Amino acid sequence: MDEDLIAKKDVLEQAGISYGQLYRWKRKGLIPEAWFIRKATVTGQETFFPKEKILSRIAQIQSLKEEQSLDELVQVLAPEAAPEAMSWDSPATLPPIGADGRKLLWKESGYTFAELVALASGVHALRSGARPAEAKLLVDLLRTEEAVLRTPTGVTALLGEKTLEQEGFSVRLTLGVLGREPLKLDRESRVKHRTDLEKIAEQVKLALRGVA
Amino acid sequence: MERQSVSIAGSGRLAGGEYAHVRISGSGRVEGDVVAQEIRVSGAGKFHGNVKAKEIEVSGAGKFAGRVEADTLETSGSCGIEGDADVKEFRSSGAQRVGGSLRGHYVRVSGILSVARDVEADVFTSSGKFEIGGLLSADRVEVKLVGDSRAREIGGENIDIRASSGFNFGFSLTRGLRLGFGIGTLAVSEIEGDSVHIEATTADVVRGKTVHIGPGCRIGRVEYAESLDVHAEAEVKERVKQ
Repeated sequence: MDEDLIAKKDVLEQAGISYGQLYRWKRKGLIPEAWFIRKATVTGQETFFPKEKILSRIAQIQSLKEEQSLDELVQVLAPEAAPEAMSWDSPATLPPIGADGRKLLWKESGYTFAELVALASGVHALRSGARPAEAKLLVDLLRTEEAVLRTPTGVTALLGEKTLEQEGFSVRLTLGVLGREPLKLDRESRVKHRTDLEKIAEQVKLALRGVA
Repeated sequence: MERQSVSIAGSGRLAGGEYAHVRISGSGRVEGDVVAQEIRVSGAGKFHGNVKAKEIEVSGAGKFAGRVEADTLETSGSCGIEGDADVKEFRSSGAQRVGGSLRGHYVRVSGILSVARDVEADVFTSSGKFEIGGLLSADRVEVKLVGDSRAREIGGENIDIRASSGFNFGFSLTRGLRLGFGIGTLAVSEIEGDSVHIEATTADVVRGKTVHIGPGCRIGRVEYAESLDVHAEAEVKERVKQ
């Protein structure tokens, strides 16, 4: 997937931050190494970032740092700092899951962080038009992938669709795929829904914080 | 259980484990991972596993094959770490090599520091020589150049690189450089900071809010937001105000 990139100096200008802040946040792990993309330009090497990700991360840091120290922020935002041992009993109270998520639940209580991310991914699919069975497929695919969901930088889950025609019958198949970008499907399949897991994990973390 | 202290004065081997103090004044090998309050090497010590300690002091020759985590690490002899070093306060007046990255709050170099990857600290000060394969990043980078230092990139808030000519500018620094009068230099491909003051530095690109290019510098391109001064004995090919 080709993301929109933004040059470092434009990040500083648009977000109104200094080099010192940017480097400090990088050191603390608030901005993942993987977002620093070095490219050759006419004026030499320059660093670019995935535009949407970096600007929304900076906005979050700026809005949260009033209340907490950088080290606490790391716990919330850094992708590698997923809540260790937690168990949540009412997923529907979290906005990224909400009432839409009720039909995707598979147990009464005791949802782990990874399971919450799986649920939120399912809800994300539902909200963008997937059928419940398809959302369920996605949740089933993700919920056991604890390790992947804890460090979701660059990981995508998608629903692919393929139509098979045979002797006048037409069968439509949906499949769930989990992997790191760039993901590719064959030419006859199409991507029906795509989820950036890092973003979903971040939403879940923020929601957990909001409720706590 | 009280943790043991061990001391190797002749030649010896030690198994990994938890210790209060480990002292090696002869020649010692430590086989596994070690956790200790204090590790002192004044002879030759080789640690084959990962090491975690409150204080580490190397005044002889210390070799660490894995990763090192400590509150303080002081090297006045020679110390090699193959893995990453995570050290809150790091001081080296001897020769220190790190095969991975060095992370800490405070890094002070007065000897020689060579790091294969990145150095990340709140404060980095050097009056020695350093070679950094990756990014040197700190809120404050304060360098008094001695010998020829290198880094791939330097980034942070305040970056202050001073030439240490004994003549202290009474004498032309550029002439000193040309004649090779033991004046230290710095070579780096990119410097980025809010306040940048550099001397005797060669760089492809310097970016900053307020930038001062001092004597002896050779810079490809300077991009600045607020102000730029360039010393008469400096060379800047391209200047861009953002």
